[in-house]
Amino acid sequence: MTGARKPQSEKLSEADAIERAKQGDAEAFETLYHLHKRRVYSLCLRMTANTASAEDLTQEAFLQLFRKIGTFRGESAFSTWLHRMAVNVVLMQLRKKGLPLVSLEENVETDEESPKKEPGADDVRLAGSINRLQLEQAISDLPPGYRTVFLLHDVEGYEHNEIAEMVGCSIGNSKSQLHKARMKLRDLLKTSRAAKATKP
Amino acid sequence: MTCEEFERVLPELEGDHNLEQHEHVKSCPLCFDLVSDLNAISQEAHWIGHGQDPSPRVWNSIENLLRQEGLIRDPQPQLVLVPPKAAGWRFAWLMPITAALFFGAGLILIHQRVPVQRASTPVVAANQPIQPGAPADAEEGQLLKLVASRAPAMRTAYESNLRAVDAYIHDAEVSVHNNPNDENAQQYLMNAYEQRAMVYEMAMDRSIQ
Repeated sequence: MTGARKPQSEKLSEADAIERAKQGDAEAFETLYHLHKRRVYSLCLRMTANTASAEDLTQEAFLQLFRKIGTFRGESAFSTWLHRMAVNVVLMQLRKKGLPLVSLEENVETDEESPKKEPGADDVRLAGSINRLQLEQAISDLPPGYRTVFLLHDVEGYEHNEIAEMVGCSIGNSKSQLHKARMKLRDLLKTSRAAKATKP
Repeated sequence: MTCEEFERVLPELEGDHNLEQHEHVKSCPLCFDLVSDLNAISQEAHWIGHGQDPSPRVWNSIENLLRQEGLIRDPQPQLVLVPPKAAGWRFAWLMPITAALFFGAGLILIHQRVPVQRASTPVVAANQPIQPGAPADAEEGQLLKLVASRAPAMRTAYESNLRAVDAYIHDAEVSVHNNPNDENAQQYLMNAYEQRAMVYEMAMDRSIQ
């Protein structure tokens, strides 16, 4: 059992590691794992909000990658290929659990979802004062469907057409879900800030 | 444009506002704050980063499964006669020394066999013909016969010495074969050959006397 240690021999470049991994080199596999584990795990953790699930999904994503590494031809960046695979693994898991990836109704706005704007209300602007830890907490509090689209777009940088393809919705629905996610986060952050302000 | 109209189109805007929308945002503090907040959230999310590592058990599980599936293939052990390039030139000084040791061992071996052949050839010609390409045991046998004929009392002792030094040579040869870069193993082999040479010389001296 080698453990998740860093390879002791001379460091491999990613390109060399990919070629050697195709030959079954154990050190090459480990190099690729260490290069990308953090990003894949972070994605899985944010999308599931559960450490154990995130680790299982990380393991599954890398296993799928290593099983298919012989087919990688370099048309896209390796990290992009891996990241797509990880996203698909997570989405498949969410589908298995029956969790909604996105709302099927694009333009439904409930009282709960849309923020109530009262004329004259004292709204403190968030710009320039967002606490990153509070934002992470607020993201984990989002409904799964909102969280998925928000993470894929604003955190991971996917475009709406890519999200629509991965999640299986329309581009319009992806935009709508993103907007609702941001609105919900705004509410959560302001509530959190207000709660802190009232504490003795 | 009203605030409700602006909010209705906001999901589609992605930061691009037409003139009417732009004017509304400039003039409406609530919508201005809304747009600012949503942009701030989006920008901050981009910088969240990836700060956590999975536990080591994740890699352990991956490695185990890859081995079980045969995707990880351990390299075949190779006999390395020359230090690997990755070891650097710090081992390069061993190469000429190793070459000299092997050369010296070869010279000693040749030196041992030549006087034995010179001494044994007339004896063999006198007593029995040597089979061409006969193994060293045959030469030892000839030597022992010579000793027996000249100093019978010493034959057993020389035979015992020859067996002991042959065993010593065999062990040293195995050691050199398994560790070709081991200087000590090479030295032992040279010592073993020298000892056999000494036994031969002693036997020859005794038989001549």
